[in-house]
Amino acid sequence: MSQTETMQNKVAGYLTGAVLATAWYGSTAALLTGLPAQTVPLAGAIVISALTPAFFLRRRKKFAGQQPIVSPAQQLRLLKTHTMVNLVDTNNLLIEVNDLLLDATGYSREELIGKPVSMLYADASAPLADEIRDLLRQGKGWQGQTPLRSRDGTTCITQTTIMPLFDENGAWIGSISARTDITKTTQLLAERDTALTLHELRDDIWIVDEASETIDYMNRAAKRRFGWSDDSYAGTTLTQMAENHECSAIYEACLSLKKSGDSFRRVNIAVGERTFEISINWLHRGTLRSRFLIMLNDLTDRVAQEQQQADFISMVSHELRSPLTSIKGSMGLLLSKAAGELTPKAEGLLEIAHRNADRLVLIINDILDMEKISSGHMDFEIKEADLSEMVREALRANATAHQRFGLNIKCNGIDTPNMVETDANRIIQVLTNLMSNAAKFSKPGGTVEITVNKVNGGLMVSVRDEGVGISVSDHHKIFQRFADMSNSDRAVKGGTGLGLSICKVIVEGLGGTIDFESREGYGSTFTFTLPGKLRHGGTDIDAPILRNVG
Amino acid sequence: MIKLLHVEDDADIREIAKMALELSGDFEVMQCECGEDALALTASYTPDVLLLDMMMPGMTGRQTLEKLRENPVFDAIPAIFMTARAQPNELEELRSIGATEVISKPFDPMSLSDQIKAAIA
Repeated sequence: MSQTETMQNKVAGYLTGAVLATAWYGSTAALLTGLPAQTVPLAGAIVISALTPAFFLRRRKKFAGQQPIVSPAQQLRLLKTHTMVNLVDTNNLLIEVNDLLLDATGYSREELIGKPVSMLYADASAPLADEIRDLLRQGKGWQGQTPLRSRDGTTCITQTTIMPLFDENGAWIGSISARTDITKTTQLLAERDTALTLHELRDDIWIVDEASETIDYMNRAAKRRFGWSDDSYAGTTLTQMAENHECSAIYEACLSLKKSGDSFRRVNIAVGERTFEISINWLHRGTLRSRFLIMLNDLTDRVAQEQQQADFISMVSHELRSPLTSIKGSMGLLLSKAAGELTPKAEGLLEIAHRNADRLVLIINDILDMEKISSGHMDFEIKEADLSEMVREALRANATAHQRFGLNIKCNGIDTPNMVETDANRIIQVLTNLMSNAAKFSKPGGTVEITVNKVNGGLMVSVRDEGVGISVSDHHKIFQRFADMSNSDRAVKGGTGLGLSICKVIVEGLGGTIDFESREGYGSTFTFTLPGKLRHGGTDIDAPILRNVG
Repeated sequence: MIKLLHVEDDADIREIAKMALELSGDFEVMQCECGEDALALTASYTPDVLLLDMMMPGMTGRQTLEKLRENPVFDAIPAIFMTARAQPNELEELRSIGATEVISKPFDPMSLSDQIKAAIA
């Protein structure tokens, strides 16, 4: 074989390898999934691109002397008609490009020859180009996906094989690249991945043709729920589903969505014995064939778990409060002399026990409230109620503490009704907490002033004391849980350190704000606001009518 | 004197409530430890007010009230529940079946009589 023929054989071998490897990669990547999809196409492509040139040369040598049926030049020409080919020298300057590459990029041959190959790559590919050049210099080939930039700035994705070229003495003289446009394949793969994701979703997916109301598609979870295999659901209508599978609510939700003209609706619906959150997308814009995309999220286990949690709270609440009722009740009766006179020492000890039983009740209430907050079960019962009456109720609940500390209580703005839409019992809880704090941290004989004002269509309540105040360094954590845990007075003053954080959740949950001003040594003023009317956000609000009478 | 029927399974709480109410001098207290006993007693006794524990073995306070309400004589008698539970939906249900007031446990024995009188006033 002449030197020219050998060179042509080499080039033809590399190109054949590149084309075969690209074809292998494209077809196997589209067919395989999972781990094989990541390994088999690449490994196969590398093997094919490495072995084909050697096989090609050996075959040529075997048939050397015989008249080839198709000459290497013809084969090279043939290959060039099926793939984009370019040759570069050792400086990465283009020395040859075929017509397919010109067609794909929009450049003329004159615009490319002698120019750096990097002009065909998107800017972000520069590091990759350097990496490939290093490999080629070492005599290694490279295969992968590269974005190819066209003259008009658009980019297509190509599956590329690049092999180094050497002269007779083994010196590196450049490289040859073969590229196949896989933009469409990539899009198809992405669409396939989306379809696979939908198919494997834990939630049920239905796609329903709007006109015929027949089910076009069900994913694996949906088919499993109804005991169907493959496409046995084909032709089933929503009406049949409603009749046979107790899911008429889904059909009605679709009809209702269509009637409303909206594109999306989310509803909770019972299907058989299970509870679902149903999301319906009405895909009717920009398409000739309108469809409903229905997603069923099974809430049954979550609902059961929430019920278990609620039952647990209820049980703990009952089991702790019942013995406390007897303890507190007995001590209360003894202190009221219901069982006769007590010695001063006995009375003092009983008062300590009674006060600490009160603390225990508050701790249990706070912990149960925090549990409700953590699990999202802090519900409210909104009704129009008189804030003035709530203040009086909280004053009654704090009367004992106020007497104990000899406090002077002043009230402003509660002589007339102050109507507000709120959860009265929760606001009484907030007021009781703020008044209790004011009493605990007041000096004996100090004044606690409660003021109600009308502000911006709502109401503002402030509870001011002349107590020890809060140091500036503690201001930032005052509404945090266990805010006063570090306070050495806590054991004496009582409380869990949860009260103010609970107040904040309650007030904000009722649409208001809570804040405070304090100066160490001069006292504190806690202020909260409530809107006059609540905007009901669709949350069904129901709530306790429990009253702290202990 | 206000005739009050107290149904409560916890003997200690029964004793404390009875002592607290009788101490006020305004109540004549009859007590039962379960709903079944209350139904038997009310065949021959009609109180002015019912004080029912909510969570009792056997018939609950709610079931007891529903049974009592089947008798027209008990249709208008105010019913007050005492509860150590804190489930809002249950309290709503109690109000829907005609509970006049719900008092949470632990209660203050010294203000119990005033609370009941205020509820039935």
